[in-house]
Amino acid sequence: MAAFLLERVEHHAGRLEASKVTAINLLVGERSCLGDDALRFSFDLLTAGTVAEGARITIRRTPMRFHCPTCDGAYVPAEADFACPSCLTIGQVTDDGGEMLIESVEIER
Amino acid sequence: MSVPGVKLVTIGERLLVDNDRVAARNHRRLSEAGVLTVNIMAAPGAGKTSFIVRTLEALRGRARAGVIEGDIAGSIDAETVLAAGAHGAVQINTGGNCHLEADMVERALHDLDLDGLDVLFVENVGNLVCPTQWALGEHVKLCLVGAAEGDDKPVKYPPMFAASDAIVLNKTDLIDLVDFDRAFFTSSVRALNPAAPIFDVSCRSGAGIPVWADWLLAQRQGVSGRDSARLGMAPIGGT
Repeated sequence: MAAFLLERVEHHAGRLEASKVTAINLLVGERSCLGDDALRFSFDLLTAGTVAEGARITIRRTPMRFHCPTCDGAYVPAEADFACPSCLTIGQVTDDGGEMLIESVEIER
Repeated sequence: MSVPGVKLVTIGERLLVDNDRVAARNHRRLSEAGVLTVNIMAAPGAGKTSFIVRTLEALRGRARAGVIEGDIAGSIDAETVLAAGAHGAVQINTGGNCHLEADMVERALHDLDLDGLDVLFVENVGNLVCPTQWALGEHVKLCLVGAAEGDDKPVKYPPMFAASDAIVLNKTDLIDLVDFDRAFFTSSVRALNPAAPIFDVSCRSGAGIPVWADWLLAQRQGVSGRDSARLGMAPIGGT
């Protein structure tokens, strides 16, 4: 995953004529499997000598949300089941929490 | 942007865009060849290889199936499926990687005669987490879960069940022995995935396999490419 990230960051750095990438801001949903520490660790190893060496990775996490048809509202389920905390109806998962995006980068020219 | 010379640039791009691109290429190639491709994802021990073997038996004379076996190391599974009648098998050793990626499958496709296949099973690495993220070019994402793993698998691994086009509950002969709550399992799956069919099978007894195999062959009709009407006409000779 870190290798894929570096490839994209290098691509955008080239396109933007950046001399250095100082920060990378990711949006990662709770339903996506991406561990913060593992990503940072591998990324630091891979970026030595690249345009992204020393770049700070910030990961914004979005929770997995469900829609309750009875309450007609969104909820974040408890750990043991998917029931709506107010009425116990089992709702329907929404797209929230499935994202895995490079939101932005901070660069020096 | 408070630091002089530093500029914040919005990107807004999927992190795995490169993998998605290769997956789209695989998908096109497989569709053109008329090969229905199924990405089989499951935890270790769920019965992926046994499920493929049972399905190969059910497809015999009705469709020619190939198998790509993804594993961290070894070649035992490829030998097993060839012995069970697969019309071609390629073993991918991921070298420690916990999931298959689209470029691994692209390389494996070079070693298969796609014109000689109707169906291709891609057995992913045993893992209910990471494979979800990585598109391979498949037509059907299938999640296989064994009853002995527990009825809470959808609650613990929502992405897998949300992303799947078909869900197979294996080892149904163990349901009563392991206090598997079928209703809880189904309602949890439905919260994540309202449409995917759920097939109950036992690879030990073979129960449920014919229903699954019929569904699979029906999906094959939807894949464009050569001579799809030929499917279902038994037997397929070596013309």
